[in-house]
Amino acid sequence: MRYMLLILSIVIGSVSVVHADYKDAFQKEFIDKPWAGAPIVEEGVCIECHISKNMKADYLKIPQEWKMSIHYKNKVSCHNCHGGDPADAAVSCGTPHSGFVRTPTYKDVPEMCGKCHVGILEKYLKSGHGRALKAAGKGPNCVTCHGAHSIQKASIDIINEVRCTKCHTYQRAKIMKQALFLTEKKIGELEDRVKELKEQGMVVSDLEKALFRTTAGFRTVFHSVNVDLVKEKSTLFMKDLEVIEKDISAITSELGFRKNFSAFLFILFGVFGIVYYVYTKEK
Amino acid sequence: MLNSIYSWVDERIGLEELIRKELKEYYVPRESNVWSTLGFLTLVAFLIQAVTGIFLLTYYIPHPDYAYQSIQKIMNVVPFGWLFRSVHLVGANLLVVLLFLHGLIVFYRLSYKRPRELNWVSGVFLFFVIMLLCVTGYLLPWSQLSYWSTTILTAIPTVLPGIGDYISRFIKGGDFVSGVTLNRFFAFHVAILPFFLVLLGALHIFLIWRTGYAPIVKGGNESVEEAGGYRRQGYEGGIPFYPDLFRKNMLMVFVFLTVLFGIITFKPDLFLPAYAHIQADPTSTPLLIRPPWYFLAPYALIRAIPNKFLGISVQVILLALFFFWPFIDQRPGRNIRKRPILLGAFVVVIITWTVLTILGRL
Repeated sequence: MRYMLLILSIVIGSVSVVHADYKDAFQKEFIDKPWAGAPIVEEGVCIECHISKNMKADYLKIPQEWKMSIHYKNKVSCHNCHGGDPADAAVSCGTPHSGFVRTPTYKDVPEMCGKCHVGILEKYLKSGHGRALKAAGKGPNCVTCHGAHSIQKASIDIINEVRCTKCHTYQRAKIMKQALFLTEKKIGELEDRVKELKEQGMVVSDLEKALFRTTAGFRTVFHSVNVDLVKEKSTLFMKDLEVIEKDISAITSELGFRKNFSAFLFILFGVFGIVYYVYTKEK
Repeated sequence: MLNSIYSWVDERIGLEELIRKELKEYYVPRESNVWSTLGFLTLVAFLIQAVTGIFLLTYYIPHPDYAYQSIQKIMNVVPFGWLFRSVHLVGANLLVVLLFLHGLIVFYRLSYKRPRELNWVSGVFLFFVIMLLCVTGYLLPWSQLSYWSTTILTAIPTVLPGIGDYISRFIKGGDFVSGVTLNRFFAFHVAILPFFLVLLGALHIFLIWRTGYAPIVKGGNESVEEAGGYRRQGYEGGIPFYPDLFRKNMLMVFVFLTVLFGIITFKPDLFLPAYAHIQADPTSTPLLIRPPWYFLAPYALIRAIPNKFLGISVQVILLALFFFWPFIDQRPGRNIRKRPILLGAFVVVIITWTVLTILGRL
């Protein structure tokens, strides 16, 4: 009897231990994930406050602008730029210890954006634009060309007469735009083709990464505002884009094969059906 | 050689006698046409789903972190995985089309009448099981389409007072569509529902075998089966199932396969909007979410009736009517044209369903 009790308690004990482990694992794997309904810290208290009646009129539009931006699309939230704790208003907006930055000064904007856009910041600071900002506090910063909360996907059209002539003549900017044109055109075409393939269910994540890397590299060079450097590097970037294009073409031809193969089966069964109909009709 | 193998098998299991008795001497109405092949076609469509489903099962991983990737792998890495998945996906939708058509024809011909009430009831059960298979299968790719369509569908029971929330939570295994829901739906899709489907399918086929094909009324001639009697092996002026109706069945199988591969070739994304190619993201709701096309009508009805409880009550009543219809309609005769009210109701239901489906898309 004693042995029986001992065995029973060992069995129950081990089951409880195993069960506890299982519960922890289950909690970790299935409950503490966004798809399992775990609290999603997206914008947290920032939005709550910014849409409330207490907010200044100028700041009320920020959430709406952000929701229309490329940052929102890429899940870049308030705290990613401004710091602070999106789950705690007191920490976020109250103390500088949390690293919270309200509106950065005009001069400090590049550093804020450069937390993520590291390469671009480096080239920008060495450029005429960056040096002018640092020296006189008057050169264009990121927001001048890209906007702030409503920031959109960058395109070559950002370089235009209206914007550039606010500070200088358009001539230099025009030469830069021409230097960028062919590479930017190619990038645009490849982005469209990748998007099209993605919408057809093809795996293009590696292509997307490669294209993103190349585009980011190219645009980093552009922020030096050095036409000669852009022209020189464009050849290299075009070579990278050609490699990507080759991979895109391989996937496109795979899609073509699929279409042809299913078309073959379509015709095969159609012909079988007709032959079968004629044959059985005669019988 | 082949003949001797055949004789060996025949001697032991009586294959020739079985074919003669159950196929060649099994008579069906002379009026049987392509519409009479829809039941057989549904069976073939289901078998295609089973074969392609088993193939997908060997590569699919039922976990939210891997489900979408495993589907991507099937579509892009596994040799001809795309073909199996496309056939499974398009085939599932065509299976629902066949079910609808089969049900409509059975109703139009009043084939559910005595002694075939159980054929109808088992058919309705089969219909529900296949719909549940569609619902559970819809979530498995774990795409934005899967996730948000399931979120809508599992929210429908919440309009029931009292128990609604509990039912919804029970289906989802929590407050949200989650990994628990995925595991539940997976178990139902690959094990529990197919078991019931095979069981009900066997019962349905047994009942058809026992009661025979229902007589078909053409024009003004109405041949009413004698009370309590039904024809299994001796239709006066009938045609044998094999080869006569079997030929039509096979012809329709070719038509079905042609349509199936036609859709895969020319409109591969017919049932896949763009957000079906994005991994499920509970933090990002797509701009336009709606359930699959075959649920658009009930979905539109719930949206159209302001009182949600009334909306779902109307549907429950309609479902009960649908289920018990052979016991409600006891009038003799199989000619629907002689029953203008019933014919009118039939047409109204089809038009209403179509209109609601269109409204559901808006």
